[in-house]
Amino acid sequence: MYGWIWRHLPGNAWVRAFTSLVLVLAIVYVLFQYIFPWAEPLLPFNDVTVDQGRGATR
Amino acid sequence: MRTEHDEQQTEAPVPPRPRRRGVVAGVVSVIGELLITAGLVLGLFVVYSLWWTNVIADREAAKEGKNVRRDWANSGPGALDTKGGIGFLHVPAMRNGEVLVKKGTDTKVLNGGVAGYYTDPLKAVLPASGTNGNFTLAAHRDGHGAKFHNIDKIRTGDPIVFETKDTWYVYKTFAELKETSKYNVDVLQPVPKESGAKKPGHYITLTTCTPVYTSDYRYIVWGELVRTQKVDEKRTKPVELR
Repeated sequence: MYGWIWRHLPGNAWVRAFTSLVLVLAIVYVLFQYIFPWAEPLLPFNDVTVDQGRGATR
Repeated sequence: MRTEHDEQQTEAPVPPRPRRRGVVAGVVSVIGELLITAGLVLGLFVVYSLWWTNVIADREAAKEGKNVRRDWANSGPGALDTKGGIGFLHVPAMRNGEVLVKKGTDTKVLNGGVAGYYTDPLKAVLPASGTNGNFTLAAHRDGHGAKFHNIDKIRTGDPIVFETKDTWYVYKTFAELKETSKYNVDVLQPVPKESGAKKPGHYITLTTCTPVYTSDYRYIVWGELVRTQKVDEKRTKPVELR
């Protein structure tokens, strides 16, 4: 997969390395800016309040 | 005598099915690369939740805290604007400076790197109201500013100070509950019995999740109001914070 991408990038090795770096940074940016903020509330790591939840009925 | 030689001869010219092996190897390597990628993405998620959210939240909280202080300086006495925040919490034992306190404990509020006072399931009684009750607060243990990260450093007797526009409310810790169910809303009662409190008074309750990096249980710290102090012109800090 990565080999395939590398072979299909244009230019010599330096240009390819630079393009790859830009691609990686772009992916990290999309993850931090959009994917992770969306996923985080769906995961049970960061609830801090006490609440009635489903079980209790007070 | 002939066997070895013959076998070698028959095997040698056979093309060893390079196509099939190539396809299988290709599929395996793509799966392997996908797994490595998944591992890297999960690693990045840890970096995101434990570091990046702190950067964002601290930046936002610092900006909003500055706005609140500017509003205090510019507005007349008594005016209480609860939108940007109602005051600052100082807990020397947590060694994290001041924490802006805002209304509500929604994820959206708390993710701004602040402590929120409860409006649900039990309403917090604000200290400024002057009536008996429980000033109940929640904040993140990790990520998003992690304002209550060091809640386990608070010991009985430690001061918890809440600063509003014109008053310092000095509380003293009298009980900690190191682990309780997340459904235990009784800790928010006006008289929180589990803390050992018996009669109505001015209480403060800090809640966050425990153990660190998870949210299986809740950690609770209770304090009771010891005294209040008028804010002077230079906003001199009460002795507990010096």
